[in-house]
Amino acid sequence: MIAILGLVIGLAAGLVIEPEVPDSMEPYLPIAVVAALDATFGGLRAYLDDIFDDKVFVVSFLSNVIIAALIVYLGDKLGVGSQLSTGVVVVLGIRIFSNVAAIRRHIFHA
Amino acid sequence: MIARPPFNRPRNGDRHTPSSWELLEQVSATSLDEDYGRIAARRGGRGSGSRRRPQVLGAVALVGLGLLLTVTALQTRSAGPVDAQERSTLVRQIHDREADISRIADRSDRVEAQVGRLQGDAEQIGILGDALLDSLTVARLVTGAVPVTGPGVRIVADNGSDSEGAGAITDNDLQVLVNGLWEAGAEAVAINSNRLGSLSAIRTAGRAITVNYNSLTPPYVITAIGDPATLEGTFADTPGGQAWFDLETNFGIQFEMDTVDELTLPAVPAERLEAQYATRQGELP
Repeated sequence: MIAILGLVIGLAAGLVIEPEVPDSMEPYLPIAVVAALDATFGGLRAYLDDIFDDKVFVVSFLSNVIIAALIVYLGDKLGVGSQLSTGVVVVLGIRIFSNVAAIRRHIFHA
Repeated sequence: MIARPPFNRPRNGDRHTPSSWELLEQVSATSLDEDYGRIAARRGGRGSGSRRRPQVLGAVALVGLGLLLTVTALQTRSAGPVDAQERSTLVRQIHDREADISRIADRSDRVEAQVGRLQGDAEQIGILGDALLDSLTVARLVTGAVPVTGPGVRIVADNGSDSEGAGAITDNDLQVLVNGLWEAGAEAVAINSNRLGSLSAIRTAGRAITVNYNSLTPPYVITAIGDPATLEGTFADTPGGQAWFDLETNFGIQFEMDTVDELTLPAVPAERLEAQYATRQGELP
């Protein structure tokens, strides 16, 4: 419950505050979101698997977001930003899909 | 940790694919962070207590997720209309420029046609100008506005021995002489280098004869430009020529006429070329 409350608070805060993102950070926002989603679905799956842990979730969340943004930033500096972000999105996408599949199995027992 | 059943490997024995298959397998097999499993194992027994613990840290992370989601969505949404606006602005500018181009092309066509017309006009004006220049040159020659040169005759006339009486050359004598020369076809006449123009008078003022207000002293040298072959002969037949023949024979007035290959006559003085009251009537030719 408290988790869902946190999500709602975050969404509402974003809508209300509408923070200005500096232009230099703008290209890394979508990748950070995908990484955050990956960590979140992983956490949900662990929760359903009954092995959820706060610290692990927070650490994986932060490291996912930061590392994904860093990889794309590095790629931008090396001139392969778009290729690297495609790679990151593919890997994270596969992880999200398999995690969501596991969650689906938990919920529907199928 | 929960092991996922591995992907079914392709059975066709393709030796080029396994490594990429392994990669995909690994990615999906480790899709759940291994740390969850490790922590749970260390704690011994699945999920003992972890679900009951207040999950404040997780909620904070989810606040971050929510923030990220909304911020990114807002960012993308605000960038969209800007892009569309820029695009439509560019499209409008393209249409504007196209209209400009066709307008300028139209104007260029019009100007070209105008240039063609003006060129035709200029040619006409050039032809007219040439004709005007020709007639102006002729007019300047025959009115005495410019010095002239050409073949003609030179007449030297002097008073007879009775220079105070019947043997004196009068202004009338000179007028008759000049009239005869005009009649014989002379185109320019000068007396003692005083060119005769259309406003020149030959008249006596005091004791001397004046031409263009210049007093003359005998002998009088009359130069006339005209056809050298006929001028002398024709003059002899004119009334002027006859009169001077009489003067020569009856009063002893000296008269000598020679044909000259080249004579130079000065222009009429400028003050004898001015017209103050006469104005042009009608168009120029």
